[in-house]
Amino acid sequence: MESVVSSPAAAAPPVIELSGVRKAFAVPGGEPLTILDIPAFTVAAGDLVALEGQSGSGKSTLLNVIAGILRPDAGSVKIAGIDIVKLAEPMRDRLRADRVGLVFQQFNLLPGFTALENVLVAMGFGSRPADRSRAEALLTAVGLADRLHHKPAALSIGQQQRVAVARALANRPRVLLADEPTASIDPAHQQQVIDLLQTSCRDEQVSLVVVTHAPEVAKQFPVRYRLEDFNLAAAAHAPAASQSASTGGRL
Amino acid sequence: MSLFGIAWRNIRQRAMTSGLTALSMALGVALVVATLVTGGVVKQAFESGAGLGYNMIIGAKGSPLQLVLNSVYLISKPIENISWQTYEQFLPGSARADGIDGTFAASSQTAVPICMGDYFHGHRVVGTNAAYFDRLSRGDGQPFRFRAGQNFSDDDLYTAVLGSQVAANLKISVGDQIAPTHGADDGKVHDPFRVVGILDRTDTPVDRGVYVNMEGFYLQEGHAKPVEEDAEADNEKNAEPDRLPDGRLPYNQREVTAILLETASLPGLPAELTAMGLRNAINEGRDAQAALPIAEIRVLLDLFVSPLELLLLLVTTLVVIVSAIGILVSMVGSSLERSRDVAIMRALGARRGVVLATVLVEAILLAVGGGGLGWLLGHGVVGLIGPWIATNAGVSAGFFSFTPAELLLVPFLIALAILAALLPAIAAYRTDVARWLG
Repeated sequence: MESVVSSPAAAAPPVIELSGVRKAFAVPGGEPLTILDIPAFTVAAGDLVALEGQSGSGKSTLLNVIAGILRPDAGSVKIAGIDIVKLAEPMRDRLRADRVGLVFQQFNLLPGFTALENVLVAMGFGSRPADRSRAEALLTAVGLADRLHHKPAALSIGQQQRVAVARALANRPRVLLADEPTASIDPAHQQQVIDLLQTSCRDEQVSLVVVTHAPEVAKQFPVRYRLEDFNLAAAAHAPAASQSASTGGRL
Repeated sequence: MSLFGIAWRNIRQRAMTSGLTALSMALGVALVVATLVTGGVVKQAFESGAGLGYNMIIGAKGSPLQLVLNSVYLISKPIENISWQTYEQFLPGSARADGIDGTFAASSQTAVPICMGDYFHGHRVVGTNAAYFDRLSRGDGQPFRFRAGQNFSDDDLYTAVLGSQVAANLKISVGDQIAPTHGADDGKVHDPFRVVGILDRTDTPVDRGVYVNMEGFYLQEGHAKPVEEDAEADNEKNAEPDRLPDGRLPYNQREVTAILLETASLPGLPAELTAMGLRNAINEGRDAQAALPIAEIRVLLDLFVSPLELLLLLVTTLVVIVSAIGILVSMVGSSLERSRDVAIMRALGARRGVVLATVLVEAILLAVGGGGLGWLLGHGVVGLIGPWIATNAGVSAGFFSFTPAELLLVPFLIALAILAALLPAIAAYRTDVARWLG
């Protein structure tokens, strides 16, 4: 029986739509290891979604596939209705720049660039011309009005993550993907980052998918999925008790 | 943000490595520029014919190159002397004692004699007449100008004119007396000559010459040619030569080291053919040889200077190539850091072509920036050693001396930078984003 995972806002058109996605990696001297086997998965526009998963369950691979960084071996991945699997790589890159924002666990700011420049660089890769005033407004909105010209090394961990959030929103994306955004932050600041992501995405009307292994983070999101529940490859490796693919995976 | 903006920030991010790489490139390019400019101005000066006011040198038979080096550049030793009669062959009747036109008078426009062999504090002493400064020019076609005083008069026997460098080095002013020595600085000291003029700087070997009235020069001990019948008859009489009624040395006891000759056009013949005919006629004779200074210098350039310049250019180009390899090493050295940056940019939507171009632009900025600095440095070096070149090679080279070959540096550096950065750029192109961000 195939599992079908959909976010609850059924009326809203899906902004992410995966169908029959499979991804395997070569293992030296062995059979290819299947990491993703997802019959169906959708996220509706405006949803704030938490994806829970154990280490090795394919969370990061899934985000990379949705972002178009990795190409699946099979299936389709639609972002705002466009199947990015069928696009040539340069088009995928352009679509990622325009419609997908990314926030990483390690923030991944460019060390040689100021906070403002990190946002402007991201704008430069999109279709629209870089908008300095928007970049400043975004950084101001995340509380960094007085840190525009600071380089990452001069910012605290929390401030760096704020820059990463502002950068992810720079090109007015349709979806923001965050990979363990609180994993490198001390507990005292984790809540701030979650609040910042949710508030920013609501304000910008962006769908948010946060991957996390921490239940206390996941439970703060209105929509929660366990990866093992809709990724058959992860379910195959997970303990039997946690398998709930037949339930649709929604918690 | 433009590619240049991103590349420039990457350079600044690795300021120390980038700075050292650019400096190494700058030093290499400075050497190339200095070699090109110096070689260029030397060649240009010689090949343009450098309006000296004469196009032929007559001297004793021997090496024509030695004759030119000695007469024009005041280096090397004189070959031998030629007779006064040979000199008179180039003079019109009005300038000769017998009133008859010389054999080659019709082919000669200006004939200036020079006598060498004395020194003054390491500087060559040249005995000549007033025509040297009145009729010849200072190398760029302009007449000689005096910073102080004036040219000597042929009638004022013990007078001298100094090149600017001699006057400056020895702190001699107009009115001072100078006493040359015979043969070398430790030779017998001659009678003193009064300095009547100091030349403006010419950036030619003239700057380091001491010019004395030939008539006074002849009267110094050992400068009179022994007369053969007298030598056999009375040695004592030879030691104290006879004088003309006005006190000058008799013509039969005179010799000249060389004649600086500006040829004239014979009626119906182009100047070049006149010169060629004159040269052949002199060289076929037994008394003297005629050398064309420009042709001789071109031979020198082709035989020695050009290969040497080529060798220098090859060596300095190798230095630049090593500097370019420095760019490669610097980029490979920072590849770990770069791969992460590239992965971030790719994740943000940068296409592979963009990250490849960023790496290439970074290398080009380093090469061209370092090259630009090297260009300034190279010209600065030429500006600094310009006066030394001027006095030793007889050509003027300064900060603003430019040779067209320098224009090739820009495409050369860009091509070199692209070659050096190709591997890191391809590595950036192929960066596995998921691996570096995972």
